[in-house]
Amino acid sequence: MPKRVISLTVNGSSYEVAVEPWWTLLYTVREELGLTGSKEGCGTGDCGACSMLLDGRLVTSCIVLAVEADGCQVTTIEGLAQGGQLHPVQQAFVEKGAVQCGYCIPGMVMAAYDLLRRNPRPTLEDVRLGLAGNLCRCTGYTKIYEAVLAAAERLRGDGGKG
Amino acid sequence: MARETTARPQFRHVGRPVDRIDATGKVTGKTVYGDDLRLPRLLHVKLVHAPLAHARIRRIDASKALAVPGVEAVITAADLPPHHVNPDARAQVLLARDEVLFYGQPVAAVLARDPYTAAYARDLVEVEYEELPAVVDPLEAMREDAPLARTAAIREADRSEEQGHITVEAEQQQAQSRPSNVSSTITFRRGDVEAGFAEADAVVEGTWRSAMVHQSYIEPHVIVADYDASGELSIWSSTQAPFHVRHEVARTLGLPEARVRVTATEVGGGFGGKIYLYEPLVAALAMCVRRPVKLAMSRKEDMLAATPAPQAVVQLKAGMKADGTLVALQARVVYDSGAFPGAPVLPGCLLIGGSYKCPNLDIQGFEVLTNKVSVGALRAPGAPHVAFALESAMDMLAQRLELDPLEVRLKNAVEKGDPLPSGQPYPAIGLKECLEAIARTDIWRERHRSRQRPNRGVGLAVGGWLGGLQPASATVGLNADGTINVTVGAADITGTNTSFAQIAAEELNVPLEMVSVVTGDTRTAPYAGMSAGSKTTYTVGRAVKLAAEDARQQILAIASQRLEVPVEELEMEDGVVRARGQPEKQVTFRELGRLTTGFGARYAPIVGRGAITARRQAPGFTAQVAEVEVDPDTGEVTVLRYAVAQDVGFAINPKSVEGQMQGGAAQGLGIALFEEMVYDEKGRLLNPNLLDYRLPTARDVPPIEAIIVEVPSEEGPYGARIVGEPSIVPGPAAVANAVADAVGARVFEAPITPERVLRALGKLQD
Amino acid sequence: MRPFAHFAPGSLDEAVEIFRREGEGGRPLAGGTDLVVQLKEGGHKFPYPRYLVSLRRLPELRALEWRDGQGLLLGAGLTMAEVARAEAVRGRYSALADGAGLVGSLQTMNMATVGGNVCNAAPSADTAPPLLALEASARIVGPEGERLVPLEEFWLGPGQTALRHGEVLVEFLLPPPMPRSASIYRRHTPRQQMDIAVVGVAVAVALDEAGRTLRKVRIALGAVAPTPMRARRAEAALEGQAPTDEAIARAAALAREEARPISDLRGSAAFRRHLVGVMTERLLREAIERARRS
Repeated sequence: MPKRVISLTVNGSSYEVAVEPWWTLLYTVREELGLTGSKEGCGTGDCGACSMLLDGRLVTSCIVLAVEADGCQVTTIEGLAQGGQLHPVQQAFVEKGAVQCGYCIPGMVMAAYDLLRRNPRPTLEDVRLGLAGNLCRCTGYTKIYEAVLAAAERLRGDGGKG
Repeated sequence: MARETTARPQFRHVGRPVDRIDATGKVTGKTVYGDDLRLPRLLHVKLVHAPLAHARIRRIDASKALAVPGVEAVITAADLPPHHVNPDARAQVLLARDEVLFYGQPVAAVLARDPYTAAYARDLVEVEYEELPAVVDPLEAMREDAPLARTAAIREADRSEEQGHITVEAEQQQAQSRPSNVSSTITFRRGDVEAGFAEADAVVEGTWRSAMVHQSYIEPHVIVADYDASGELSIWSSTQAPFHVRHEVARTLGLPEARVRVTATEVGGGFGGKIYLYEPLVAALAMCVRRPVKLAMSRKEDMLAATPAPQAVVQLKAGMKADGTLVALQARVVYDSGAFPGAPVLPGCLLIGGSYKCPNLDIQGFEVLTNKVSVGALRAPGAPHVAFALESAMDMLAQRLELDPLEVRLKNAVEKGDPLPSGQPYPAIGLKECLEAIARTDIWRERHRSRQRPNRGVGLAVGGWLGGLQPASATVGLNADGTINVTVGAADITGTNTSFAQIAAEELNVPLEMVSVVTGDTRTAPYAGMSAGSKTTYTVGRAVKLAAEDARQQILAIASQRLEVPVEELEMEDGVVRARGQPEKQVTFRELGRLTTGFGARYAPIVGRGAITARRQAPGFTAQVAEVEVDPDTGEVTVLRYAVAQDVGFAINPKSVEGQMQGGAAQGLGIALFEEMVYDEKGRLLNPNLLDYRLPTARDVPPIEAIIVEVPSEEGPYGARIVGEPSIVPGPAAVANAVADAVGARVFEAPITPERVLRALGKLQD
Repeated sequence: MRPFAHFAPGSLDEAVEIFRREGEGGRPLAGGTDLVVQLKEGGHKFPYPRYLVSLRRLPELRALEWRDGQGLLLGAGLTMAEVARAEAVRGRYSALADGAGLVGSLQTMNMATVGGNVCNAAPSADTAPPLLALEASARIVGPEGERLVPLEEFWLGPGQTALRHGEVLVEFLLPPPMPRSASIYRRHTPRQQMDIAVVGVAVAVALDEAGRTLRKVRIALGAVAPTPMRARRAEAALEGQAPTDEAIARAAALAREEARPISDLRGSAAFRRHLVGVMTERLLREAIERARRS
């Protein structure tokens, strides 16, 4: 059977890609579109390293078939920084020392970005719940919590309240 | 959350929290890891993993696999180019040839144009096996009548890697004569333990079991290799040890090291599990097909066939006098090495007697072979297993004698000059200081109040690591525009390149932005040991400091000539060299850069060189405390608060150091509560995935308080000592002690699962 | 993954027609959080499919409609996130909102569907005990027409359902709850999140007008039998009784006996049985308290 051509809008750009039905969205984004920022940590949806937004919903792209994303809007880690400027979430991760080996980071940043869009005033418990689907083996999470809470403040424009 | 470190006015850069220089690439997804590499005509490798724990290979039929369009080759052991095979060394058995020794051992490699095709074809390779008896449990394996894990006895175990993690002079005896699954033993004795126990007012004993645990780096193993027509072998590997890989690959494949180039790609987590494993195989495959090949292991494959940490059984008996003096320690430590030797018996046996002064010791260690995947290093290899036993026993003794568990540890804690079980004396160390720091935490000070809440408890434990020693070198160069390049050969696993930037900027007194640090490959970078054994800053940092100092001298020498001012009267600041008191006499780094690199340049390029041998260790100790709540009816343990104090000598980048401490402590919590590789009675791994091998999530790990303690080392840069490993060590014991404090029942098996808690409470009727 | 063909129909009729036309070897694909993992890792309890039929675009699977006197129509294609958040579910069928909200990470909840969870038929499925306790039925549409199957008859074994080739589970019907009722679902897992339930318990209770006796008691258990199950003896012992501590404890003990867990990687039989007793007792207490206040 010939490949199927699907349409994807990724980080605002439109693509027509020929895919096999068994290719995952992650594989397609990485191999066909060259957007290698999203990572495969487990291939079974258990670690979150492949997290991206699919029509605005956070998903583990390693278990989404590319053909199921036909016609959808996708946002990957490469789509966050605008005009060379880091998104406040990315900036906070850098400043708070929340980045070590970095392999979980693209997925973690996407999860944090998604959390803050849905809940601009998260408590620590909200943050821990929002990131529970993203495993990190290096940081022990503490500085990631600090980064997300700091990013929340910055996005709200708070001086320090919230 | 972490506390701020106090500022150090005498330093401009070192000792200050600095953003990691590689962080921006990582948060934008730009950083290139091994699986992101693209090479023309790349072939993808999928390994055929044996489905039996012990078997003879009778026949391999690859015809169906080869018939799949897109498959370029199927390679078995017989097809590999001539190479040095050592059947006793895991990395030198590239593919199983006659005997499969563990479930998941690679027996063939499929090479195809894309990974889906390779995986599809892999399932079509037919292998005929003759099943052999497998031995799975290490204690069973030690019995006289146990089946042998390998049909041929060990002759030439390869323990070369171990010295990179922990450098100690002690002899591990290869078990001799009668064929047995015990491949080596080690003994440390001091004084007379029987007399010690007779003297003791309290004696406790127990058997502590620790499960097999996987490093679980989020990035599985990935290696790319290419062998071109001129005989140049290139390897890109997610490795912590590029020079070690070069050496071993060259040796195994019979190539000169000068023709082997190893690039350490950005490592997505190592923890000791990414030193050297499949590089010779992938290189050999590249030699077979004369095309670039990539092995990117899936999570399942990595869990089946990498090198996890061993399971261990530790029998410990400890005696203490009523005044809290530890008088006798007797231990029998068994590590299950899996199918190849390489278990951390030496560090384990050293460290079980390495935290406390104790006049009478009798420690015996055993390395046992079984038909399971062979083990490797995992952050302080061997140490958490023995700390689990020792630190639990200390609490049991303290309770029996009605002594405070922290005071009892302070009383016996090792100090400078105290001997390790091997006899070598400790240099300056900070175990006591760590305990004192924990004593000041809210968690510890509020423990009586915490205990008043039902089912809440507080528990404490300590641990340490000696660290490895390897030589290191670095260069610091001045560019044509006056900016600085630092080149090292050490893979940056933990933010060490940022620390090197701080060191170079400190010595040259320039803003951090003027310094760029790069890890070169083995052809372009000066030698460094593996980024393991917690010693990257300790060794390479010293070399960078020396190289920067050398560059400074060279700069001053040229400036002195140009300005006709003696070197002693020159000052260097922010890229300008000027005569003290005569500011108009100055020359900039930029001018010097031009003078040393342009056409007809008057002066030689400025290349600072630093090279060191490391002869003295700077051990790092840690003390940690956990506050937990236990549900006595379900056995669930929730960690409410956690603090880690660690002596790092001098924190060059406190932000990075805290991150290491918190990360290691969280791994300790994972081992304490959730992580366990489960093999069935036939030696098959039941949970090679991240669903049933449970890593702690954000909901499981509370914010961890990190307290940096600084007892300067004698040799490290600015007094720094080892950093990366100690923080993983006390976790299981701290949790076991906290659970015992909470509900009065002690668990002797890690992970401390809800079921084990209920059994300890006597609540399960089978 | 091995190759398969994929179809993306735009309507339920189209989907059924594809199954009819293509014949044996096809599977419906909803969120894929179970199916895709099984195709990758080999845990599928059915032959590897020749083709998949995507249910993603079918508008017929997206109902969320309360009808007075009839209850709630809940589309099988709704995601766990949608079910967990829907006021129509949280208000009257909170056990189902509990279950949908516990299924896994946020990422999983955004893709997984309640229909997929039910049709995957794992004994540990988190929406199963709630649907059983809430006495839901499944409306199934296929080449031979449509039928309504009470969920107690839907699961036949691990990974086995009453669905025939070509049939699609379209929606669930949840009968209207009685006054003064409440429902809860909880599960035990080793970690706080991301795990498969070791034991799952759902209870749904209704008190009489005076609040003195239990008009209705439903107790459903997950992960302790080949399929999700009702603890009928426990229910019968408590129904019509005053909700005293002793009565609740007795019911919990009966539920513990009725459970038929196996020992596996995730827990021993003894541990699971123990948890059934502990959790049933706790949930009954909590649900009764909530029913009292409602």
